[in-house]
Amino acid sequence: MKKYLPAIVAGFVAGVLHIVPLAKSMTCCLIVPLAAFGAIILDQKANGTKGNFDLKRGAILGLLTGLFAALFGSFFDIFVTFITRNNDIIISFNELTQLLDTMPVPNDVKAEVLELMNQVSDSIKESGFSLLYSVSIIFNNVIVNSIFGTIGGLVGTKVLNARNSN
Amino acid sequence: MIEKKKKFIIYILFLLILIWCFGIFSEFLIYNFPFLTKLLPFLKYNYSLVCHTESDKLVCIGMHHTLTCARCTGIYLGGFFSSLVTIFGYNKNTSTRLLLFSSLPMITDVFLLALGIYNYSKIIALLTGLLLGSVGFFYIQNLIIELLLNFRKIK
Repeated sequence: MKKYLPAIVAGFVAGVLHIVPLAKSMTCCLIVPLAAFGAIILDQKANGTKGNFDLKRGAILGLLTGLFAALFGSFFDIFVTFITRNNDIIISFNELTQLLDTMPVPNDVKAEVLELMNQVSDSIKESGFSLLYSVSIIFNNVIVNSIFGTIGGLVGTKVLNARNSN
Repeated sequence: MIEKKKKFIIYILFLLILIWCFGIFSEFLIYNFPFLTKLLPFLKYNYSLVCHTESDKLVCIGMHHTLTCARCTGIYLGGFFSSLVTIFGYNKNTSTRLLLFSSLPMITDVFLLALGIYNYSKIIALLTGLLLGSVGFFYIQNLIIELLLNFRKIK
């Protein structure tokens, strides 16, 4: 468990920052890679590692940070949606409707998309929870954050090692 | 054998970044691929995870927009172009210093914008992103190749 603590801590911070609008707009794609970098530094400090950090360990820590960030981020997102009964999907619903009108796609496809979005929107407004929305954000967060976390872990390890060798 | 594995990794990375860039331009591609309409809300959320997606900073052609801002679009397109040239045999061994230098124009642009020296320019954002993305891709690709080729050997 202690082995994964840096990834859990950094993932938690990234998960919290995922739902803070200002932090999200300022750092966008850098949140998870920076968290992975933070996890590597935490791990180095915790184990008192001197010299070069292992690339494989860096990548695994990055991947784990991304996965924890996805889990915490999704949980907070679902929780805030449940409390406020509002989220980005509802806010952007009108925008999406206008966008679909400009697109050269068959009407039945448009109707299908709008019906699906309506279901999600109504469900969130009524109960604060939509299964489709929850599954899709968990899926998205897990895929995207694990990729960006691994990249952050790899780049972070290389940058740290380059700094050590100078 | 190692060369074969390396080529395989390069092709996989190219495919992944191609799919990623395909998603960024999905609003434009709906003309040719109507099935993307059903995925659009999902894709919009997906790219909002990695970009602020502020509507006035998106690349806009006609009535359609990219799903990421001009800077992020530049970064990913830069990555795509680098990936494409790697397919044809070109590969640059990028140092951390070169990566930092390539990020300087983007950091300078962000800094000057924050100070209000000039207004946001999509072209500058796109070009500075393109520079970082193209250099950054080589850097990340070499790390991924190093990791995957030596995964069992590294302790």
